[in-house]
Parts: sequence; structure tokens; C-alpha cells
Amino acid sequence: MPGKGPSLEDLIGIEHSKLGFFQELRQTIEALKDANTQSAQRRREIAAILDGITDIMMVLTSDLRILSVNHVFRQTFPDVPRPEGMFCHQIFRGEDVPCPGCPASASFAAGDICRETAIFKIGGKNVQFEMVASPINRPDAPDRHILVFKRDVSREKEYQAKFYQAEKMATIGMLATGVAHEVNNPLTAIFGFAEGLRRRLPALKEKVDPRVMEDVEDYVATILRECRRCQDIVTTLLTFSRQKTVSFSAVSLNAVVNDTLKLLRSHLKQRNQAKITVRVDLSENLPMVHGDEHQIKQVMLNLLVNAMDAITGPGRIIITTYQSSKGAVCLSVEDSGCGVPPENVDKLFEPFFTTKRSGKGIGIGLSTCMSIVKKHQGDITLKSTPGQGATFTVSLPVNPEKTT
Amino acid sequence: MRISKFAIPEIIFGRGSIVHLASCAKRVGARRVLFVSDSGLAKAGWVDRIQEILRDNGLEWVYFDAVNSNPRDHQIHEGADIYVRERADVIIAVGGGSPMDAAKGIGTIVGNGGSISDYEGANRIMRPLPPMIFLPTTAGSSSDISQFCIITDVARQVKMSIISRSLVPNVSIIDPLVLLTKSEELIISSAVDAFAHAVESYLSLLSSPFTEHQALKAIRLIAHNIRPALENRSIEALENLSIASTCAGMSFSNAGLGIGHSLAHSLGGMFDVLHGLVHPILLPPVMRFNLAVSVDKLANIGRILCGPRMCSNEYLAQAGIAWLEHFFADLRVPVRLRDILPDSSCLETIAKAAVNDACTLTNPRPASWESLLGVCQEAW
Repeated sequence: MPGKGPSLEDLIGIEHSKLGFFQELRQTIEALKDANTQSAQRRREIAAILDGITDIMMVLTSDLRILSVNHVFRQTFPDVPRPEGMFCHQIFRGEDVPCPGCPASASFAAGDICRETAIFKIGGKNVQFEMVASPINRPDAPDRHILVFKRDVSREKEYQAKFYQAEKMATIGMLATGVAHEVNNPLTAIFGFAEGLRRRLPALKEKVDPRVMEDVEDYVATILRECRRCQDIVTTLLTFSRQKTVSFSAVSLNAVVNDTLKLLRSHLKQRNQAKITVRVDLSENLPMVHGDEHQIKQVMLNLLVNAMDAITGPGRIIITTYQSSKGAVCLSVEDSGCGVPPENVDKLFEPFFTTKRSGKGIGIGLSTCMSIVKKHQGDITLKSTPGQGATFTVSLPVNPEKTT
Repeated sequence: MRISKFAIPEIIFGRGSIVHLASCAKRVGARRVLFVSDSGLAKAGWVDRIQEILRDNGLEWVYFDAVNSNPRDHQIHEGADIYVRERADVIIAVGGGSPMDAAKGIGTIVGNGGSISDYEGANRIMRPLPPMIFLPTTAGSSSDISQFCIITDVARQVKMSIISRSLVPNVSIIDPLVLLTKSEELIISSAVDAFAHAVESYLSLLSSPFTEHQALKAIRLIAHNIRPALENRSIEALENLSIASTCAGMSFSNAGLGIGHSLAHSLGGMFDVLHGLVHPILLPPVMRFNLAVSVDKLANIGRILCGPRMCSNEYLAQAGIAWLEHFFADLRVPVRLRDILPDSSCLETIAKAAVNDACTLTNPRPASWESLLGVCQEAW
């Protein structure tokens, strides 16, 4: 109920017209302009934040189609100008089906953040990515999206592998040095007394039954021989474990093969499965290579252990040294084991790539081998037919170029 | 002369113009309209015809017909809720004064919120209304032309007058063919309503040359066409009646009315009588009451009704009023208040309520509640 009734002027209503929405529209347009400016500003800020992220970022639909990517993605794949709408696995693996162990699918299924590390071949180079997939929850939309970060961790992995290896070697070295010294003392005593016995043998000759004497001489010779072998093993152990800076000198690959086999002989014998025969085919006049003997032994040891691990049941390992047609000195280890499936061939030398079950290895052996051989300006190649064994060949240059 | 103002909607007039309803609605942005009408029109088949037009033009609609004559405040709120809930845009009202006033009320609430009684009086609507397109079917109330909206406040038992330029619809489509289905009673009550609009707005304090001309034209057309319209539903006569109603609407929307409508509103608020039936009773005494100050204008009306005479204005004015009384009596409508009211005890209340009506303000002769009571007693 109005406080006071209208007046005649009110009825004429000179100042009142039919109200349109113009004023309101104008205000709304102003408000929208403001909101637009603000959201553009916010967009720029967010874009700046996103540009500061150096990981590959993708937003995927639930069927793994790419919705949007960041600038790092575009730098990584310069030859994919329009990734939007393509499948993620098309770009990263060239496959038509999702990769096994895909974190995006797992994240979508679990509705939670999933992490995964995998190796991709990008631009002809293996890159290890640590991937984090997290679902983007949009309460008002029926379909969910997944945000995937891919960080290139190749270098970290490489360093990590080197660190593990160094630590492992240091531990073995410490143990071996300890053992070597502990064994060396009694060994020295045994060797000394056996030597004493050998010197006294002529004096005993007249007083003892010749047949008994023959046995004694044989025993003493055996003791001495076995002692020497023990000393050899200890020395070899010490050379493996010596904590010393890398020093390059002339190295004989044949000697390396023999030393390594000495170390592994008992290991080979102990295999409780069927027997593995080891055939050694060493080239007679093999040139020396310029390298670090201790490190080359590590490579040899690794290759041999891998060959043994690849064989289940009876099998054979053939170790060959030769000089290739190009003049490089080569060492190849051939086994009759399970072989390497083709999709793993180029990932084999990546740090932390392993096909051994957990607890048996962490996948740093071959990557260490590769980095050692590369340091010697050499190369490791692999020929393998799955199910029919594999041949790893290390080739080292005879005259490496002097590197500064 | 006082500064005046003349505002009318876009008017589309002519036989068959009903077909433009949908295109007009689309022009003001319709996709889903609130279609307000009443059951009488549905019976006559016009609701189906209009829904057909909307359908053919690809418009959706929400039909609202919970309106009876003299729309109630709660019906308005109900309609506004439906409008909002159904996400309607344009309001289309088809019918007499009641559906059109209801549509105006709904639009007011939709645009301004609150309760409909908040807007009683003049120029209290501060925010725009949704676009409105009206199609009048009675040629009487002229709500499709006017800036008036009359809603019954059930609690207070009064008819509220809401006056605002925003209540003028965007488009008024007047199709005389729609009148063909009207009953005799409806033709009479609408014509008398329009006639009362014309007379009162012609006498009004705010009348201007622009409104006076329209008012006189309406008076002439109604006086000459009501008989043929009743006798043989002559389409020309019906068309002239809707022209008259439109002219009367233009006049009273801008000039206002007088105490006849003040009393009609308070009667309608208390007794829910048909608006058109009150005027044959009240108009002659109201004209007599105003004779003292408006003799020349009343003489002009007399000249139209009785033909030109060589006599004084005073006599002519009286002759016109007498002609009207005969005319109403011939139409066999109630001409005494006692015919429509139970007893005379309520007259004082009616008079007191009518004093506060906005229409009292523009009456040429100032009126107290006592003088209004006098008019009522004269009409008893």
C-alpha cells in the first residue's frame, strides 16, 4: 500500500517511459567486458605459470585422445603440428592400442593420481619419462579428463645408475680387500711351509720308501700349485676392487677374458641347474687396446653374468676375441639363452631397464657397460633372435682419438 | 495549457491480423512464450487457433489460464512462478481485460520481484518487464493500449490500480474477426466499458487535444455501431466497435478517468461484479455530478449522441445524459445499483474506498467520499 496516493503529475508521467532493457543491457555488457578483461588477465597469468613448467603436459580424454598440450610438447614433437584429437599412444609409440601399464588409464580407472616410468623413443633417441597422471574433476561435465605430466628423467636415471654401480663396486672392493688380506696371511704361511717342505724333500729321499716319497713330492707340488692359484684369485679380486682413478694403459682383451673366467669359474660350477659349457675362442695375435683394465673387466663380467642369467637349463656360452675388418678389437659373448624380444632391443642399455624379476637385478649393468665402452670410444652391439640366444659384441678402437 | 504526454503501443489493426502474432513475438526475442488466456476463449476455439500459429512458427509455449474475471493477486504470483520455472521469455495475452491485466501483473513481478501490491499507484515500477504482446478479444477494456493494470487484492477487498508506462505492451494486435464469436452480453458490456472510458477520459483533468479527439471518435462509433453489431453481428459494426475501444484506450491511458471508474473499482473489489455491468448504472449520475464544471464537454457529447441542436450547452449536456439512460435501458442491462447489490449498507464503504483510487484524482470536479456516496445513492 503506497504511503501517499499519486498526483496528477504522476499520472501524466512526463519523466516516465516504458522501461526497456537497454540500461540493464549496457550494464551487463560493461560487467561482461570487465569480467572478460579479468579472465584474460588470469588466462595470461596461468599461461605464464604453465610456460614455466618444463615438463610435457597433456590433457587427455578418457579414450586417451589429446585435448590440449603445452609448449614443451610442441618443442618435443616439432613434426606433429596438430596433436589435438590424436591418440597419445599414436604419438609416443606409433601404436594403435594403448600402451600396457598406461598411467592415464590407471588414473582414470582409479580416479586418483598414478605415477609410472617408461622409456620412449623420441627423435631416434631413447628418453625415460616419469609420468604423473591425475584426473581432472569437472563436477558439471559428464566425461572426465586426465592431466598427464611427462618429465624427462634420462639424465637423472643415468647418474643414479652410475652411483649405484660405484657404490656396489666400492662395497665389493671393500669386502674383497678384506677377504683377500685375511686369506693372504694363512695362504702365505701355507705357501711358506709347503716351500720349506719342498726344500727338505732331497734330505728325506734317502730315509723314506721311494713310493711314499713319490706321493709326498706330488702332494707338496699340488699344495704349492693350488696355493699359487689361490694367490692368483686373490690378486684378481684385488684388481677388480681396487679403488683408484681411471687410468688408461695398454690392455689385453684375452687377459681380461681369462681373469674374468677365473672369478666366475666357481659360480659356473655352482649352478644347480644343468650344465653350461663355456667355450673360449681367443685370437692369438690380438692387438692391445688403450683402456682401463679394471673397467673393461667390469664390462666382461657383466656380459658373462647376463649370458648365464639368460640360460635356463643346459646351454653354452661362446666367448670370442677377434679383430674386425675395420681394425677394431672385438670381444663377443654369445649365449644360447632366451634372447631379446625386438621391442626391447633398443631399451636394453637404458638405466633401470630390466627384464629380470625383482630382487635379481635393478637394470644398471648394461647401462654401466655402455657408458664405460663409450668412454673408450667403442660400442656395444647386439644380435638376437628371441628364443635362440643373443650375441653381445664389444668393439674397442686400437688407436682411440685423443680426447681432451 | 499543461504539458501533456501521449504514449501508445505499436498497434497492428485489421481483419486477420492474428496471423502476425508469432512473428511479432519472434521480433521481440520469443522462443518460449507464456501464453495467458481464459477458458471462455478456449471454448470459442481461439486458444487452439493461436497455439496452431505458435506451432507453425516453431515457438514453444506455456499455457496459463488460471485467471478469472477481475484477476486476483495470488493468481498473478502463480503465473510469475510458472514464467520463471518454465523459463519463458515473451508474454502473450489473448482475451479481455482480465487475461491482459493478469499478464501485466505477471510481467511486473517477473521484472521487479516482490509482491504485486508493492506497485499499486503510479510509476512505482522501476525495472523493465518482459516483452508483452496482446491480442484483445472484447473491444472493451483496452488494456492492450493502456498503462493501467487492475488487480484485486483479495485480503483488502480492493481493486488496485497500477499505473506505469512500462505496462503498455510492446505490440497490440487487434483483429476484429475475433469479435465474431462474442456473446450478446459480452458485446454490450465491452462496448459500455469502452464508452465509459471515452466519456470519463474526455472529461478528465488531464485530457489533451490528442486524447479528446480519440474520445469523441470512440463515443460516436459506439453510439452508431452497437445496434448493428448486436442485431446481425455485422463485421463492419464489430470492426467499428474495436476501433472505438482502441480510440477510447488511447484516450484514457493518457488522460486518465474519473470517479465512475473509482466506484467501479471499489465495487469490483468488494462484490466481484462484471466491470462492464457497473457503468450503465454509474455513468449517468457521474456525468450529472460533473455537469457543474464540464458543461461544454458534456454538451459536445450530447451533440454526438442526439445530433446537432440549436440550444444551450446546458440543455444539450442534459439531453445527452438522458439519451444515454434510454440507451442503456433499451439494452436491457441493470441500470440501478439495487439490481446488482444486496443492500445499501455497503455504499459508505464503497465510497470511502473509491476516494483513494487514482481515477478520483483526474475527475474534473473534486470529489470527497460524501459526494461519491451521493452519486451511489442517486444510482441506487
